[in-house]
Amino acid sequence: MSTLDLSKLESSPDLLISQGDDKDSLVISMGPQHPSTHGVLRVMLKLDGETVITSESEIGYLHTGIEKQAENLFWQQAVTVVDRADYLAPLSNSLCYVLAVEKLLGIDAQIPVRAQVLRVIFTELTRIASHLVQLGTHAMDLGAQSIFMYAFEMREQILRIMEFVTGARMHQSWFRVGGLALDVPVGFIALLDKFIESFPERLSDMRAILEKNVIIMDRLIGVGRISAADAIAWGLTGPNLRGSGVAYDVRKALPNSGYENYDFDICVHDGGDCYSRFVVRLNEMYQAWRIIKQGRDRFPGGPVVIDDPKIVPPAKTVIQHSMEALIHHFKLVSSGFNVPEGRIYQSVESPRGELGMYVVSAGGNKPWRVRWRPPSFYNLQALGALAPGNLIADLVAIIGSLDPVFGEVDR
Amino acid sequence: MPEQPPVGAERTRTAALLDSLRAALGDDLLEAVSAADMDEAAIVPSALLHAVDVLRSAGFNMLADIGVVDHHPLSPRFEVAYHIQAIDAAAKPVVPVRFRLRVFPDDAEPVVPSLVSVWPNSNWAEREAFDLFGIRFDGHLNLKRILMPDDWVGYPLRKDYPLRGTDRDFVAGGRQGTVPPVNP
Repeated sequence: MSTLDLSKLESSPDLLISQGDDKDSLVISMGPQHPSTHGVLRVMLKLDGETVITSESEIGYLHTGIEKQAENLFWQQAVTVVDRADYLAPLSNSLCYVLAVEKLLGIDAQIPVRAQVLRVIFTELTRIASHLVQLGTHAMDLGAQSIFMYAFEMREQILRIMEFVTGARMHQSWFRVGGLALDVPVGFIALLDKFIESFPERLSDMRAILEKNVIIMDRLIGVGRISAADAIAWGLTGPNLRGSGVAYDVRKALPNSGYENYDFDICVHDGGDCYSRFVVRLNEMYQAWRIIKQGRDRFPGGPVVIDDPKIVPPAKTVIQHSMEALIHHFKLVSSGFNVPEGRIYQSVESPRGELGMYVVSAGGNKPWRVRWRPPSFYNLQALGALAPGNLIADLVAIIGSLDPVFGEVDR
Repeated sequence: MPEQPPVGAERTRTAALLDSLRAALGDDLLEAVSAADMDEAAIVPSALLHAVDVLRSAGFNMLADIGVVDHHPLSPRFEVAYHIQAIDAAAKPVVPVRFRLRVFPDDAEPVVPSLVSVWPNSNWAEREAFDLFGIRFDGHLNLKRILMPDDWVGYPLRKDYPLRGTDRDFVAGGRQGTVPPVNP
C-alpha cells in the first residue's frame, strides 16, 4: 500500500466530512485484494485506534460495460450479457430482463405455465445457491472455515442440477424472451427430488451449527445496526431491509411468473444488525425450498415457449419441412425481432434485493437502454453509514452481511 | 405498448399525487402520463427539488433508482428518470407505490439539481450518471467518477461513444482529450 497518496485522500470530501484536522487519526486502505471484500472492493478508512471514523468505498474494479454491451446486441442476445451482472444469481437477472421485454412486446400473458413454474423453481434454486455462498463466506470471515466447505458442497448440488438442465453451471442464459431456451431433460425430476429430499436436513444441520453459535452471536449481534427508516432512506432492499423489520419482498408485493400462487412467508427480523440479516437469509433458504417443492408438485406439462415464430425460432423438426419456418428462423438469427417503442421499469426479488431494470425501446431490434437498479450497489453504499463507530475487525462482518456482488455493483 | 392496466389502489394514490404536482408546479410540469408500469411526470430540471418535496410529503420515502437515457440524436437528448417509491414500513407485506419523475436537462450542458440532501443514496447514483453520461448534479459535494478510472476521458454510455476502441486507448494516461476511434 505504499502507493497510497495520503495528501490526495485528505482532500477527498467524503473522508473529511465533519472531521476537522484531527492529527491522531490514521488513514488506511483496505482492499482491493483483501479476502473479506469478496471480490474487488477498496475501502479507505480513517481510524482512531481500531475504531472506524469514516469509510469511503471505491468501486468500479469489475466494470465491464454490461449496459453498453446490452445496447449493442439483439433483444434475445442481450440475455447472455444480462446474466453476467450478478454472477451468483444469474437467473434472477435474466428473469427481470425477459419479463421487461415480454411486457414491452405485450406477450407477458401468453407465457406457458410450464415455463413459468420452471422459471420460479430455477430462480429459487439460484436464491439458495447464492445465500449459501453468502453464508459460507460470511462464516469464513468470522473464522468458521468448515462452514464454507459445507455450504459450497450444498451449492455444488444445485449447480449440478443447473448443469444437467442448461449445460452451464454458472451463466445459464436459460430464460429467453417468450419462455425458456429448452425444456428440461429426462431425469431432471429425479435429480430435483433428490435435492428436495436432502436439503432440509442439511439446512437444519447448518442452522444447528450457526444460529446459536456463541462466536457468531458475539461477532454479529449489535454490529452494523441500521434502523428501518435509515434503511429505507439508503435504499436498502432484500434481506438487508427485511433484517431491519420491513416486510418488503417483491415476490409478494408485485408478483410475477405466478409467485402469487405459492405459499411462502416473508422472512423478517427486527434487530437491524448483522445477526438479523444472517437469520433472514437462513430462513429464506427454507422458504425458497418450500417454493421449489410446491413448483415440483404442480409441475405442469405443455410447451415451454410461446407459439409465435416472429419471436421464438421454430423447432428444428418444423424447419426441416416448412419453408416459412426456415425464413422465420433465418430472420430471427440474422436480425432478431423488433420491440415496440416504450419504456418499462420491471423489478424482481433477487437474492440481494429489489433488482430493477428500466428498459427503453426505440422500436428497433436492439434495446435502446437497459438500466439496472443493482441492489448490491445501493446496499454497499450504506457501508459509509454503517461502518463509523465500529471496530475495523467488525467491518469484515458488516461487508459480509450486506452481501455485495461486484459483478452487479460495477456491471 | 400493452393496453392500460386497470386503475388500482396504487394508481388512485399516484393520480392524487399528479394532481398535487400540477397544483404545486404549474407550468414546470411538462407532462403527466399514466404509463403501463406506473404513473410518471415530466418536469423541468429547476423544479426537481420542489417536486421531490411534494412527493416526500405524500409518503414517497425511497429513491429506488436514477437511470439516464441518451436519446441521441433526438432532442432533448438526455432523460434522467427517478424511480421513487412509497414504502410503509409497518405494513405486512409492504406493497410499494411507485412513481417516475423524468427530467430533461440541456443537451450541451446537462445539469440537474442534486438530491443528496434529500436521499443519501442518490450520492452514488448521481456519480454514476456523471461518470457514464456526463450529467452534472448541482449541489453534489463529491461529483467524481465512480466506475471508470479517475483520469478517463469521455462518457462511455453516451450513444456517440463507440463500443470498441484499440488497446492503445486504454494505456494509462493515453488518449488525452481525444474521442476514441471507431473500430467497427
